[in-house]
Formats: sequence, C-alpha cells, structure tokens
Amino acid sequence: MPPEKAAYDHLSMPALHIYELTTGWAAAKWLLWILLYLSLGILVPWVLARAWAHQHQVTMQLRLKQLFQSGELGLVGLMLAISVIWDLQKSQYSSYTIALGSVFLALTGVMAGSVWIEAYCRRSSGIRFTPGRAWRDSRNLAFLVFSLAAVTEILLDRFAKVIAL
Amino acid sequence: MSAAAPALVKERRGTLAMRLADPAATLAYVSLFFGLLLVLFPVSFPRIIIANWQSARLTPLMILFTVSVNLGLYLAVAHQRSAKPGILAAACLGSLPVFLLAALNFVLQATIAHTFAGSSPNASLLVDEEILAHTYFAMIAAIFFPFLMIRLAQQFQS
Repeated sequence: MPPEKAAYDHLSMPALHIYELTTGWAAAKWLLWILLYLSLGILVPWVLARAWAHQHQVTMQLRLKQLFQSGELGLVGLMLAISVIWDLQKSQYSSYTIALGSVFLALTGVMAGSVWIEAYCRRSSGIRFTPGRAWRDSRNLAFLVFSLAAVTEILLDRFAKVIAL
Repeated sequence: MSAAAPALVKERRGTLAMRLADPAATLAYVSLFFGLLLVLFPVSFPRIIIANWQSARLTPLMILFTVSVNLGLYLAVAHQRSAKPGILAAACLGSLPVFLLAALNFVLQATIAHTFAGSSPNASLLVDEEILAHTYFAMIAAIFFPFLMIRLAQQFQS
C-alpha cells in the first residue's frame, strides 16, 4: 500500500476513490495529451521544415528558435487555449467557475497570439523587429498557456470522476 | 569626463517597461507546481486547501503569496534591466491582487450556494472541487492580471 494512501485510511470512501482513479490510468492519459500538443504544435512543423530542406537540398538552420522566430509559438498557445476553453465549456462545473477559467485562458491565449501579430506588424512596417525578443516572448507565453491547460485538464479530470461517483 | 560618466548612466536609467513574457515563465512554473502537487498528493493537497478555506485563512494566505510573487518579479526584472521601478506600477501590483482575490471570494461563495442548491447526492465533494478550481484560477489571475494591466497602461501611454 503506498504511504500516501496509508496515511489517509481514515478518509471517506469517495476520497479514496478519487485517490485511486487519479493515480491510475490518468497519468498515462496526461502523457498522451501532452505529447499530442507537443507533436502537433512543435514537432510536426520542425519535421516538415527538415523534409522541405532535404527535398530542395538547401542548407538552413533548423533550430526551434529559428523556426519560430516570428512568435509562431504564440499561435500554438492560442490554439491550445481554445481547445481547453472548449473542454471547460462542456464540463459540469458551475457557470461561475467556467466563466472564470474561460476568461482567464482566453486572455493568456490572446496575449500569446498577439506576440506573432506584433512581430508581423513590426516586420511589415519596418519598425525595429528583434527575432530574439519575439521568440522569447512567444516561448514564455506559450509555456504559460501550456501549464494552465495542463492543470485545467487535471481539474476537469478530477471533477468528472467526482460527478461519476 | 570620466567622473561624469556614472552620472550620465544614472540619468539614462528610465522607468521599467514590463513585457508580459517577463512574469509568464515564473507563473507557468507556479502553475505546474500546483498541478504536480495535485497529481502527487490528490487527497492531502486539496484537503489542505479546503481546511484553510474553512478556517478563513485561504484568501489572506493567497493575498500574501500573490503580492509577494508580484513584487518580487517586478523588482527582479527591474534589477535585470537596470531600470527604475515605477511607484504606480508597484502600487498596482500591491493592490490589484487584493481587490481581485476579495471579489473572487464573493464569486466562490455564490458558486458554493449554487452547488448546494442543486440536487446532487455528492454536493460536498463537488463543492470541494469547485474550491480547488477557484483557488487555482484566482491565484494565477491575481499574479497575471496586474501585469496585464501595467502592460496595457504602458502601451496606451506610449
């Protein structure tokens, strides 16, 4: 018996159900979910760029920093935020919680997406554009959206299990 | 000439212009840490949060935590860029989390009343989950929102 479970043997049965379900298959489900977004948002574009360079026999720098230097990771963050807002809307949380979570996810998603918009506007208008800054901003904001999305999905998973009890 | 150089450098030290990416990474780590605690201690961690909420200690603790993180982040970025921290921005970082967390506490009370009003057989468990979700979203919002306000104000000003 794990020590965490032994320490809470006095708890009610529903609490133990949550414990068992959360430490069971949910861990694998989370890994799959994370891998799906990482592969679709980051790995697939990188592989496609490599394939294109190979096909055209072009030597080019294919680091993530170069590939996403215009803040494209912000768009990945926005896409991720939209998908989690969709999940949140379908949940049975109270309307207040859904509203709070959705508004906050939308704000961070929009701010992540706006990094790409700012970079595009700067490049188009010829106003000072720093690829390093666009990369850093989009990477940090996409990381924030990703962590928010991950924890929101954990909370949704827990809530769904409590509903099912 | 050499004596005047430090003075010139001091004069050029402008007010700190924040970018949202500055607090984003730290906030992401705070969020991931919350998630990690939730996965590793699925019973004990929520119990600590709910026990603190029941004893009315949760909101003051969150205010203390978020204001400390906000001010720490702001001063760290100012030090990193050798820029002067603005008094208005510091006041915003100190006061906005208090108002936000107090307002969200009222929203949480309404949520709990709404959940208990329903006919769910396990309403108390649902309320526990609602408190957990509110704590998470409120904590993250209280850190991110003041920086967003500062950023928008600076953009509007420029």
